[in-house]
Formats: sequence, structure tokens, C-alpha cells
Amino acid sequence: MNGAQHILEAFHRHQITTVFGYPGGCIMPLYDALVDDVGVEHVLCRHEQACALAADGYARASGRLGVCIATSGPGATNLITGVANAHRDSVPLLVITGQVPAPLIGTDAFQETDVLGMTLGIVKHSYLVEDANALPGILEDAINLAQSGRPGPVWIDIPKDLLLAEVQTRAPARPPRPEPACPDIREALALLRDARRPLLYSGGGVSLAHAEASFRAFAEASGLPGVTTLKGIGNAGKHNPDDLGMLGMHGSRAANRAVDECDLLLVIGARLDDRATGRLDGFAANARLIHIDADAAEIGKLRPADVALRGDLNAILGAFTEALRQTPLAIEPWRKQCREWRTTGGFATADNEEPHAPITGPAFVRQLSRIAPDDTLIACDVGQHQMWVAQHYRFDHPRHHLTSGGLGTMGFGLPAAIGAQFADRQATVINVSGDGSFMMNAQELATIRRYQLPVKLIILDNQCLGMVRQQQELFYNNRESQIDLDDNPDFVAMARAFDIPALHIERTDQIRRGIETILAYRGPMLLHVAIAREDNVWPIVKPGASNREMIDQPRRTTNASKEQVA
Amino acid sequence: MNTHNPSSAPSYQIHCRMTQEAAALERLCQVVRVRGFRIHQMAVHTAGDHLEIALTLEGARPIAMLQAQLEKLHSVAEVCLAMPSLARPRTA
Ligand SMILES: Cc1ncc(C[n+]2csc(CCOP(=O)(O)OP(=O)(O)O)c2C)c(N)n1
Repeated sequence: MNGAQHILEAFHRHQITTVFGYPGGCIMPLYDALVDDVGVEHVLCRHEQACALAADGYARASGRLGVCIATSGPGATNLITGVANAHRDSVPLLVITGQVPAPLIGTDAFQETDVLGMTLGIVKHSYLVEDANALPGILEDAINLAQSGRPGPVWIDIPKDLLLAEVQTRAPARPPRPEPACPDIREALALLRDARRPLLYSGGGVSLAHAEASFRAFAEASGLPGVTTLKGIGNAGKHNPDDLGMLGMHGSRAANRAVDECDLLLVIGARLDDRATGRLDGFAANARLIHIDADAAEIGKLRPADVALRGDLNAILGAFTEALRQTPLAIEPWRKQCREWRTTGGFATADNEEPHAPITGPAFVRQLSRIAPDDTLIACDVGQHQMWVAQHYRFDHPRHHLTSGGLGTMGFGLPAAIGAQFADRQATVINVSGDGSFMMNAQELATIRRYQLPVKLIILDNQCLGMVRQQQELFYNNRESQIDLDDNPDFVAMARAFDIPALHIERTDQIRRGIETILAYRGPMLLHVAIAREDNVWPIVKPGASNREMIDQPRRTTNASKEQVA
Repeated sequence: MNTHNPSSAPSYQIHCRMTQEAAALERLCQVVRVRGFRIHQMAVHTAGDHLEIALTLEGARPIAMLQAQLEKLHSVAEVCLAMPSLARPRTA
């Protein structure tokens, strides 16, 4: 077997059945091997960035490894944004690129780039294969490493001659990595029992550790009120009355208030990102902190922990749950207080019933949340629409919400939705995008058509880069700069050019029918939603300010179409 | 990145053992830079399939944070800070 065939053999051994890629000169031996392979479905996207983002969406939705493949030079450089996106959100990816033949490395050969050097900061690890016989071991290590501990992308760069070379070795048997022992939770438990106002703060680490069920059992046994990060949305399920929703820059007033007033913060699978904490010296200033994470480097990175528990979240949460079931916490007054804040300072606002009123982002997302099936996968892009989804869509599971958190990559949504649909062919998959973001990977409409994926595409079109416009309005004295997109293409016609039927709506009374129509349609369909250019995401904390300094929507009494703010 | 005047920042000595593989040193140096430290001195020698690296670093941020980030690198086997109690082997 040559190197390329070994790669496919490793895919089979690890049950990797779907890969996203784009061919070219130096990776051609692998594409040649794919011709004879029946076990691996190769999905041809229309840009390597989309290959990486689709692999990312596949991994997020399924909890399995995502795989993307590209050629050297421009193929590899095009992957970079997608791989960085996966790195920042700890998504397990295997990235395979062809490289110029080994003797040509360092000669500025055609399509040579120093992939290893360029990507050091955006991978969990990377390999340049220097000997064909090392390839089986590298593949084995890379596949395991990407998925173990704190997951992340692992990149293998393989010179073309080594893809063609006969490989004499077989994949070595690697002993399974030892599970880290469950740390002693007694000190943390004592702090928790001591606290009068303890609060859960959970993030994306819960689902990364496949600890969703353990988390829910713990939340129930503890009765703790909780806030989530953007990536933790859905951790508590949609019916938990103690879940105050997302905190931070666009978090709920209730969530930020609870963090401000708690006396103990129990951080689970979160890294205290600045968009969530706001200015650190004003963050949970009166609270002690217990930090539970799989990654030792996150503990104490931004805020010292009074107790740190590093290890497998399932084991740690299980230990807490058992202890709390035996002796529950006595925090009723605090729970009651948090529930009150949830009622008065949550995101639930009354929709405007005026049928001819223009559509607002929040009103649309709330209707979508009510109408779409519970297990719908929502892939977002980046901007105001992303925040409206985070605020107003009620997710029952964190894997139902595919959002670019750490990198904030415009153009994520469409390829991520494609990846998610490949992860679950039966699932309802919806991409909620903005008009700016949609155009960043619009070429992937061709991928949707090619594979006849029934992805539903929603564009909340405010004819501008809304999130940037909002910050220019609020923090740059309303000096608008390069945010106008009023020359957008006709999105309905554009979709139709890819044989994707499309519908346009602009009034509140059209929302329900619009959503029901795209959901009922058997194939892909686009819903173009015109929204007002000047609508903002509320509340907002100025970048760099403390979460105490939330700015609410100014009340506009004259405009009947505006909703009341929570 | 937090910029600071390196000459007024505290100085640390770190010893690092890592697997010898493509871009090993670049990987190490990149983490040092990104996490807010400056390399003042660096000595490397090869020991079998490992590299032994002695670093003198300057930086205003807590050195334990850098140590944790270096320990996270897959190819790093051990990071010792030249202060007796802080030497710790990699755990995972
Ligand atoms: C690739 C990339 N470029 C630039 C940005 C900066 N950015 C963040 S939000 C945003 C505007 C997004 O506009 P749109 O997709 O129309 O969404 P809206 O905010 O209007 O809902 C921009 C330019 C980014 N996050 N990603």
C-alpha cells in the first residue's frame, strides 16, 4: 500500500465515513486512491475554507472527528480560517494537506508554502511527514490526539512523493490514554455548601467532554441557578427555570446581575472569555471561584480559582451529583431571587402583534424557535443575527447550536450547516445568516445543490454589516464607515440560480407562513427576511467595560413597531 | 498582547525537554512570544530523539501561565522552572 492508501485505511479503521475536501496537484495521489474506495464519502465543497468549516460543523453536530483535505499552497492557505475557527472552539479536526515532493521543499517550488510554520498557532498539533514509514503512526496519533483531552485540530502535511511511496509499516497499536483520575471534590463541595448565593457558569466544555447528561443531572441535584457562555447555550435544556441564559456583552440582564451578586461561581468547561466576563476587575467581584476544566492551562489563566478541579467533567460532575443528592443545598431564597430576575430581566419579550409591522430580528427568531422541531440544528453566522439567535432561540441541547464563538468567523454558517446535514441526514438543519456573512461563503449554494441537502437558509437582511454599524452608532459617534450593503444581490434570484427555491418576507404577519413553508419543503429552500437597517442588539456592554455597565434599548414611544425591552 | 518594557520585567529560567520533530523549536518559541514573554537566552542540545532546551525569559505575566501552556504542547515532555518547588512533569 502507498501512503495515500494508508490514509484511507486509517479512515476505515476509525470509522471516518465523510470527509470534506478539494483536490489539486500535491494531493492528487490521495484523490486517486479515493477512486477505488467505497467506504469514504468525499464531499467536494467549492472553497477550501468551506471544507474546513463544513468539517467543523460536522464535528460539532455529531461529536465525532471532522476531516478536511486540500492541496498544497493555496489549498492549504485557504483552509486556515476554518482550522483557526475549530482551534478557537476546540473542535476535533483532522486536516490533511499535500505538500510539494520532499526533495523540493525549500526550493520555492510551484505551490509550496510552509504549512507547518504558518499554522503553528492554530492547531493542537501538526506533523510534516518526513518518512513514508512514519505515516501510519502519525495518522494514528493525530486521530487520537484531535479527540482526546481538550479536542482541537491536528494537521498532517504530506509531501506528494510520500503519498506515492510504498509504506512498509502498519499502524502501531497505541495503548488507550489513561483517563485522568477524578480529583478530590471535598474542598469544592465545602465551598459550595458554605455559599449563600452560588451560581453555575457553564460553557462549551460540557459538550466537548460529552458531559451533557452529567451536567443536567448535576444541575438538577444542585438546584443551582445558572448562566451560560455563548457556547454553553443549551447545556441546561430549554425547560430549566433556573437557567438565566447567556451572560456577557449581549447577555441577559438577569444573567449578568446574578454573576455580579453571587458569592460563589462554579465555572464548568469555560475559559472566562472576555466577551463573557466583560472587564475582569468588575466580574463576579464578590465571589469565590471553583473552576472545573479538562485543560489545566485554562485554570487560573484569567482569574485565580479558589479551588481548581482538572479532569474529566463526567467524573467530576458525577461525584458532585452523588454528594448533593445525599445532602441537598439550602439556597431557596437565592433561587427565588434568580427566578425573579429571570422574569424581569430575561430575554423573553412580548412580540409586536401589529401584522404590517416590519420584522425585527428577535421577533423572527422567537417564532422560529416556537415553530422548528426541538432537535433542529441551527448554524449561525456572525453578527447581530447570531446574537439574536443566542438570545431568543431556546435550545434544548448545546450541539443544536452551531456558532463560531472564539474566532467569530463570518461565513461559518453555510458550510457548518452543510457539515451538520452530512452528520445527520434526517435532521432539520437551518442556517441563520446575515447578508454580509452569507456572501462570505455563498459559493456553497453549489454544494447544497450538488448533494441535494435539505438545508434551510435564512438571511436576516438589514442591508448592512449590522454589528459593525451598531458599534459605530453607539461607540464611534454614529460615524458610519464601510458598512453599507444596499447593493446586495437579489438573494432570491441568486438562490434560484442554484435551483434552490426562495421566498421573500418583510412583514410580521408573514413570518409564520415563511418559516412553515421552508420547513415543509422537502429540499433546500431559502427565506429572505428583510429587517430594518437600524435595529440593534440589546442589551450591550461596551467592549472593555464591566458587565455592570449594560446599556439597554432606549425606549422609543413614537415607533409602534418597536418592541418593549425586557 | 500585553506590551511591557522587557528590560524591567522579571526574568525566569526554564528548562524544557521536547521531542525532536519538524518545527519543534518554532512551536516552543511561538508559544513563548504569544503568551507575552521575550527570549533573552536560549541553548539547545540534542539528546537522542529529544531536545533539551534551556531558556532565559523575560515577561511581566505570571510564569506559571506560560509553563502550563508549554506543558500543553504535544511534543513537550517536561517543563521545569528553575525554582526548586515548581518543577513539575507533564501530566497529560
Ligand atoms: C471574516 C470576518 N470578517 C470580519 C468580521 C467582523 N465583523 C463582525 S460582525 C460583522 C458584520 C456582520 O454582518 P452581517 O453578516 O450582515 O450580520 P448582521 O450583523 O447585520 O446581523 C463584521 C464585519 C468577522 N467577524 N469575520
